[in-house]
Amino acid sequence: MIVCQNLYVTYRWRQEPVLKGVNGTFKGKSLILGPNGSGKTTLFRAICGLTNIKSGKILIDEKPIEEIYATKGVVSANFQDIYTLIDAKAFDLIRLYTDLAEGDPQLALKIIEDFGITADFLKKRKLSELSSGQAKIFCTALALAMKARHVLLDEPFEELDPARKGRMVNYLNEYEGVVLINTHETWLLKNLQDWEAFLMFEGILYGPLTVKDLLNARISMAEEPDSLLKLSLSGKTVSIIKGKGKGKLLTSLENLDKMYEIAEGLKT
Amino acid sequence: MTKYLWMNAKHLLTNPYLIFWSILFIEFWVFMWAYVFGAYIPPIEEAVRLYMASAYGNLLMLSLSGAAITIASTLLYGSKSIRYVTKYTRLSPARFLIENFASALIALLTISSVMFLSVIGVFHSKFGFTILPANAVGLVFSIFLGAVFIYALAFFLNSIVVVLRSPKSSSFIFFLPLIFAFTAYAALWVDFGNLAYASPFNCIVSTCYYYLSGKAPPTGNLTSMAQNNRPLVDVNIALASLLAWSIILMALDTLLLRKMRGISIEEIRTA
Repeated sequence: MIVCQNLYVTYRWRQEPVLKGVNGTFKGKSLILGPNGSGKTTLFRAICGLTNIKSGKILIDEKPIEEIYATKGVVSANFQDIYTLIDAKAFDLIRLYTDLAEGDPQLALKIIEDFGITADFLKKRKLSELSSGQAKIFCTALALAMKARHVLLDEPFEELDPARKGRMVNYLNEYEGVVLINTHETWLLKNLQDWEAFLMFEGILYGPLTVKDLLNARISMAEEPDSLLKLSLSGKTVSIIKGKGKGKLLTSLENLDKMYEIAEGLKT
Repeated sequence: MTKYLWMNAKHLLTNPYLIFWSILFIEFWVFMWAYVFGAYIPPIEEAVRLYMASAYGNLLMLSLSGAAITIASTLLYGSKSIRYVTKYTRLSPARFLIENFASALIALLTISSVMFLSVIGVFHSKFGFTILPANAVGLVFSIFLGAVFIYALAFFLNSIVVVLRSPKSSSFIFFLPLIFAFTAYAALWVDFGNLAYASPFNCIVSTCYYYLSGKAPPTGNLTSMAQNNRPLVDVNIALASLLAWSIILMALDTLLLRKMRGISIEEIRTA
C-alpha cells in the first residue's frame, strides 16, 4: 500500500510546487487520470525517491520512503532513466536489473516478444537506441518482470497501436500486486472497470472513485451539490456528476487535456 | 556480488572515450617521451631508468586523470538509476559504492598495466635494454593507491554536480582532474617544494618514480637532471598524503551518495 500525506514537491528552490498537498491511498489497482502537466509523473517520481519532497510524507507499506534502502521487491517503475545504470545493450539490462531485483528475466522477454521485439534485436541495441515506443514497451516489461509489490507505470499505452494496447491491458489486469498507472487518455476506462480511479489537475489529486462511476460521469460547469468530485480548474469549479442529465460525458473526451477547453467554455 | 560489478567493468573497458583519451592518446606521448624528448638521454641504464620512471609516473597520472572524466560522466548519466537501485533493489548505497569502486578499479588497473607494458616496450625499443621496476610490489601498491584516489575524486566530482543539480557545470567540474594533472605535470620544470606533498597528483608521480627507479625524486624541476643537492621527496609522506586524500574523498562520497536524487538524461543533454 502506498500512502501520500499532504505531499508538496518542487523541482527547484522557490519555484511553485508541482504537487500541492497530494493526499491519497493506493492499495489495489488504480488509475490516475489527468491532463499533461498536471503532476502525475512527478507523483510517481516522488514515490520512486527521484525528487526532493518539500513537505508531507510518502509511506510504502507503512514505512517512510526516506528510510527505504536496498529493499528489493517494493517498487518498480517504467521510467527510462532508472534503467541507465550502464549504457549497455538492452538485453544485458534485462539480465542486470532482474538480477538486482531478483525478478524474472524470462517474463520480461516474454512480454517484450509479445509486443513484437525479439531478444536478438535487444542484443544488438542499447536502450538509448530503441525508438520511444520500443523503449516504453521495454521499460514497462522490465517493471512488470521485477516482481515488485507496487508497480508504477507512467503512460504505459503511449505510442501503442490498439491491438497492443489491449495486450498491455491484459498484462496489467493479470498482475498480482498494487498497480498504479497514469494516463491522460480516457478510452481505456471501459477495459479497467474493476480499478479505482483518481483525477489529477494542477498538482492536486482528487478521488478515489470507481472506474464504473467514472464511465457514466458527466462534467458540469456548475457547483453541483450531489457531485462525485469537485475540481478546481484554472480557478473555476467543475463538478463531476453521476448518471444521465446535463453536462458532457467524461469518456466522450478524447483525453483530459480537453477539460480545460470545457472550463474555458470552448466547444470541444 | 551482483552482475553489476563485471558488467560495469566491461562497460568501462570498452568505453571509446576511455580507450582513446587514457590509452591511445597517452601512447602517443609514450613515443614522444622515448624518441623525441629522450633523444638526448645517454643510453646508460641508470640514466634511462630515472628518465623512464619520470615518464611512467607523469604519463600514468595523465592517463588516470583522463579516465576520471569518463568515470564521472558515466556516474552522472546513471545518477537517476543509482538513486533507484540503491533504494529498491538489493544494491544498498554501500554495496553500490563497493561494486562501482571495484569495477572502476579493474578498469584503472588495466589501463595502468597497459601503460606500464608499453613504456617498458617502447623504451626497450629506443634504448636497447629492458628496465624492470626496482620494487615491483611497491610499484603495484603505489599504482593501486593512485587508482583509488582517482576513483574517489571522480565519484566526488559527480556527487557535487548531482547534489547541486548543476549538469551545466559538469563540463568544467569533470575536467578538474585533468587540469590538476597538468598543473602537477609542471613539476617537470618547476620545483613545488613542500606543496608537492599537498597535491595527490604529484604524489602519484613521486611514488611511481620511486618504486620504478629505486630513488626518491626531487620535489620538482625533474627535467634538470644535472642539478645536485635538490630537496628529495619523502616517499612515505607522499604515500600518506595520497592515502589521506583517498580516505577523505571516500568518506565524502559515502555521505553524498544518500543525498543524490539524480539528474535526468534530458536535463543533462539540454544543459
